[in-house]
Amino acid sequence: MKISKKIIDNLKKGGVDFYLSVPCKLLANMIDILENDKDIYYSAVPREEEGMGICAGAYLGNKFPCIMMQNTGIGNSVNAIVSLLQLYQMPVVFLISYRGTPGEPVGAQGGMAKITEDILQTLRIPILHCSSEKELDKISTFSKHAKVVESPVAILCDFNLMKDDK
Amino acid sequence: MNRFDLLNKVQNILKDNLVICNIGLPSQELYKISDQPNFFYMLGSMGLSSSIGLGLALSQNKHVISIDGDGSVLMNMNTLATIGNRAPSNYTLLIIDNGSYGSTGDQRTFTDEKTSLKDVALGAGCKNVIECSGEETVNELNKAIDDKDNSYVIISKINSGNVKIDPIPLNPITIRDRFRKFIGKVKYL
Repeated sequence: MKISKKIIDNLKKGGVDFYLSVPCKLLANMIDILENDKDIYYSAVPREEEGMGICAGAYLGNKFPCIMMQNTGIGNSVNAIVSLLQLYQMPVVFLISYRGTPGEPVGAQGGMAKITEDILQTLRIPILHCSSEKELDKISTFSKHAKVVESPVAILCDFNLMKDDK
Repeated sequence: MNRFDLLNKVQNILKDNLVICNIGLPSQELYKISDQPNFFYMLGSMGLSSSIGLGLALSQNKHVISIDGDGSVLMNMNTLATIGNRAPSNYTLLIIDNGSYGSTGDQRTFTDEKTSLKDVALGAGCKNVIECSGEETVNELNKAIDDKDNSYVIISKINSGNVKIDPIPLNPITIRDRFRKFIGKVKYL
């Protein structure tokens, strides 16, 4: 719970006040925290691409949105990212559980893991790659950066960082 | 009645609300009929007009009308479940259902065959789902906006057909900034 709490605390410190998630077991603790937090808006959403749309609307309404998802969700969302969030220069934080990185038991997750960072780089999305607890301290500044550059940004949280967060 | 006729009929209602308008011809026709700062023309991302409007309605108090199409809703049908479970009362989804992909050459959609978006929306958990003719749409939209306790999905069944029209000449950032300024959120403008 310590890691999850630290991530949420840093996102809130960065000004994020509107959260969506498409579930992942690595995000389960964060979802629990958000469901019980009265200071922010939180909802589950069935599909990441749709979540990008809801985040865009939330930004228009002056919220600072974050969508939490597996890295597979980036694959589901490429056009929404390019033709909506980037076209209108909308800051949104992607909090991504980086499935398929070392420690991952499910082989099928490996395919998207191999190309996740390439996709984000092709999309010119700034990346904060968190593989240790220390790096989580950078999340609040990195989130604020999304607003300054008016762009989506991506935070990748490695499998091994999240897996023992009981 | 086609989409252009319908947009003409509802334009006075739209002017008083925040509007997210669907990609392609719907936005281009609305722009030609009446361009307003409180109209957000969605220039890319087919399927997401309903979702953008939902996020906007959840984030501020003004009434939001998402204008979507049958082809677009079919592309992002899961959003009806999110709307059914999460839409606040300041949200109305207006689906202009002409049974065709208007912007791409009027190919038939499945709503012109077996699919009923009304049944889909009801099954997805939306409570106030109205299917009506183009002529009845003004009245149904007014009722939806006047009801301060419930959100609505209005499916306006009209004929296919488009008006020959140019792309919207506005820069996306202009659309974004004047829209946010209208809501009263952009301080640097």
